[in-house]
Amino acid sequence: MTSYSKEVLGDLAAGKLPWPQTRRIMSAYKDDDRFFKMVAVYQDRVAWKDPILLPVSDHLFICQSGDERITRCECGHSFGDYRKNWKLKAAIIVRNTEEALREIYPNSDIPDPRWMEIREFICPQCGTMHEVEAAAPGYPIVHDFQPDLEGFYREWLGKPL
Amino acid sequence: MLDKPASALRLRERLLDSERLMEETGCYDGITELTLRNQDPLKFETLHTKLRAYCVSAREMARRISASPGVREVGEMVVAIYTPEGDAIALSNGIMVHVHTMSRFIKWMIKNNYEENPKIREGDIFANNDAFIGTVQVPDVMDVVPIFHEGTLVGWAGAVCHELEAGGITPGGDVCLAQERFTEGLFVCAEKIGENDEIRRDYVIRCERNLRMPIYWVLDEKAKVASCIDMRESVKQLISEIGLDYWMKVSKEFIEEGRRAQLARTRQLTVPGIYRGHTFYGHVTAGKPGFQLLGDPDWLYNIPIEMEITTDGKITMDFEGTQPWGYHSMNCTPAGMDGGMFVTLTQHMNFEGLVNDGAWMATELKLPHGTWTNPDNEMVATATSWALLLPAYGVFQRLLSRGFVARGFVEEAFVGQVNSPMIEMGGESQYGTPFGMAHFECAAAGSGALAIADGLDTAYVGWNPESDMGNIEVWEQSMPMVYIGRSIVPNSGGAGKYRGGCSFVSTWLINKTSHLRLHTSEHSSRVFDNGGMCGGYPAPTCQKHRAVRNSNIHELAAKGAPLAHAPGIDPHVSDYEKNIGGDHVLVEGPYITSPHKSGDIFSHSYNGGGGYGDVLERDPIKTAWDVENGYLTREAAIQIFGIVLKDDADGYPLADIDATVERRAAMRKDRLAKAIPVSDWIAAERGRVEKADFAPEVKKMYASAIKLSSRFTRDFSDFWNVDAKSIFMPGAKP
Repeated sequence: MTSYSKEVLGDLAAGKLPWPQTRRIMSAYKDDDRFFKMVAVYQDRVAWKDPILLPVSDHLFICQSGDERITRCECGHSFGDYRKNWKLKAAIIVRNTEEALREIYPNSDIPDPRWMEIREFICPQCGTMHEVEAAAPGYPIVHDFQPDLEGFYREWLGKPL
Repeated sequence: MLDKPASALRLRERLLDSERLMEETGCYDGITELTLRNQDPLKFETLHTKLRAYCVSAREMARRISASPGVREVGEMVVAIYTPEGDAIALSNGIMVHVHTMSRFIKWMIKNNYEENPKIREGDIFANNDAFIGTVQVPDVMDVVPIFHEGTLVGWAGAVCHELEAGGITPGGDVCLAQERFTEGLFVCAEKIGENDEIRRDYVIRCERNLRMPIYWVLDEKAKVASCIDMRESVKQLISEIGLDYWMKVSKEFIEEGRRAQLARTRQLTVPGIYRGHTFYGHVTAGKPGFQLLGDPDWLYNIPIEMEITTDGKITMDFEGTQPWGYHSMNCTPAGMDGGMFVTLTQHMNFEGLVNDGAWMATELKLPHGTWTNPDNEMVATATSWALLLPAYGVFQRLLSRGFVARGFVEEAFVGQVNSPMIEMGGESQYGTPFGMAHFECAAAGSGALAIADGLDTAYVGWNPESDMGNIEVWEQSMPMVYIGRSIVPNSGGAGKYRGGCSFVSTWLINKTSHLRLHTSEHSSRVFDNGGMCGGYPAPTCQKHRAVRNSNIHELAAKGAPLAHAPGIDPHVSDYEKNIGGDHVLVEGPYITSPHKSGDIFSHSYNGGGGYGDVLERDPIKTAWDVENGYLTREAAIQIFGIVLKDDADGYPLADIDATVERRAAMRKDRLAKAIPVSDWIAAERGRVEKADFAPEVKKMYASAIKLSSRFTRDFSDFWNVDAKSIFMPGAKP
């Protein structure tokens, strides 16, 4: 069975693994012990103690915090119950003028801000940009991911949550 | 009797029986046990590898017969082997999107009693390019031949080529000006085009009389038929070795195994749950010559997707809330939507094991009736359905990638495909002859970023995993234009910790012609048609066209004066305007205008992919390399990424790490100062929503989505705490 050390997976997640080795991992049969090893890698990366249950973005994790399961930023900021859209508890910068769009697209043709805006969802504590939405003005904010956490642990991982 | 399968059941009955068995057992053709695989797994695997080798070999052989640079040069072809009922057993590389669309074509013939009339006999050749029967768009012409073994129909061999000219209202294959089916070009609707392994002369004459460049289509037909016969003979030889009974059983077990493998891979690589995303597409045609006023000229399309992965591993994609079909060429049939799903799965999940229709059977598409994904009118045009398909399946790739990231398989996460706009042309060739073609260098755009690395530069498109832009010299042989530039477009990948792959731009001098019609399609205006992921930005995909009519380039060249070989990095004044005299043209949306002639200059840029991760985490050293090599500008480095560059002794950019750390800290602080709580933004924005204070096209988009979808109406109303219907459809019944 294919398996990698935590160190190798840590380097893989950090984009530090040499490309030939990364390429071999991409082409090889997948390692069945990946999930918990990768969770361990992330757990080492964060300063807080709540056990990580699921990574949901580059720096966002669902974790067990006492009796609650919450979405937490790598910096420790809590976005509340994992079943709710974390974006609603974030800070936001909306780029809906030519000037604001031009800051990100200095050398290209840019959208018409009457048709499209950019919404940057930011951690109010550390300022990490967790997600960017490109949407028509007035479009509801998207709830990207509602994992079936119970089903995942019980039926796919065969472990209690 | 060659026209009757030896089975006691007619083909149609067999097909219906197979569908019933799938319904009852949940397994393909009722195969609940993989008996042959369990008996001798090595023989099982070896046989499938042989079938795959037959396909790959037949495709490569056929590409040498084709005259089309689309097929010869960039590989716009795929072949596959099917069961008698039309389910794919094995396939080649190439434009795999068509493996399942061909399956629909075969089933359509069976369900429409082709056994009775026109009959299915050994040596027959059937062709189709009707998307409502089974293809994506009119240039995707498919040929299938039945495989008989001692009088028994034992399967089908099929091949598809993307034709460079389809005889539509505008030249080329992706007929951008088609607003109804009747202007899309030459249709071949599940037609018997040959018997006894020979294409009928009257069919060839029809092609020769109705196409601008029949040599491409006709030689592609010969290439496809040759590949089908090659596969057919290989399968017949194989059956003579393994026996008919074994073949009939094993070919179906291959598909059931493929279905099970897809479910298992979903369980292995993802996390069950609901995934959501969206993208948009802007189509701007107001005032352009040729467009009939059949509807509003400018359109904004929203493409929301909800994907569910259940604990049994099934993937369901639901397009509820998207826009209605329209009088444009970007509509898509369910066959095309299937094709998009299939080619995406083969790239991202179905990359090992027995790749076949089984993967598709482990998924489900929900395509709301009346939308562009499933038109309730078969007269609609689908010639450029990729315009909406590519952004839609880019969303699918991001949704899947969210699952890969959650499961820890970060190396599989991929921000997805973007539109790769196409140029089509016709008129008088450089040889003084009539011509028409699509330029297929678009088959090598930039890809979305990965979660661990930058995207591929000029090396990816969604529809063909074997991306290739083709050699300049080959394209120049086929069109009255010569390249004066082909270069990377700086910043064309979306910004992020890992940037999207960059695209390229070509600049041509129109040469040796007095009449060249140039048209473009499949590029979004006024909006991004892609997205970033996990904090990455979308790529800038709303590019405009730049051309120079009556240029003085020959005078400049004679003087040895500097020319312009690319538009440059000033969005307000192009390098063409700075260096070349003449009538400068800037066009938004599809390029449809009066013919060009020798001495004019035309440029066309392709799209890069979206970015991944927070821009403030991008590697400064990699960024300096990017700036040095033209993938990023210095402005982007400092302004977007906060990376301070200085020059080394030779004048090359060098990252100033200390200054970068300082600048990034300031940018982060600035972010926090500018950002407001989302709840405050919603409260403020709600007033605008209540007043419907939006551009007319945005309001129309909401009204259309609300009319078609109660779920969209409910979600919109709940989010803003408003009555969406009364705002966007005043006067409508509640």
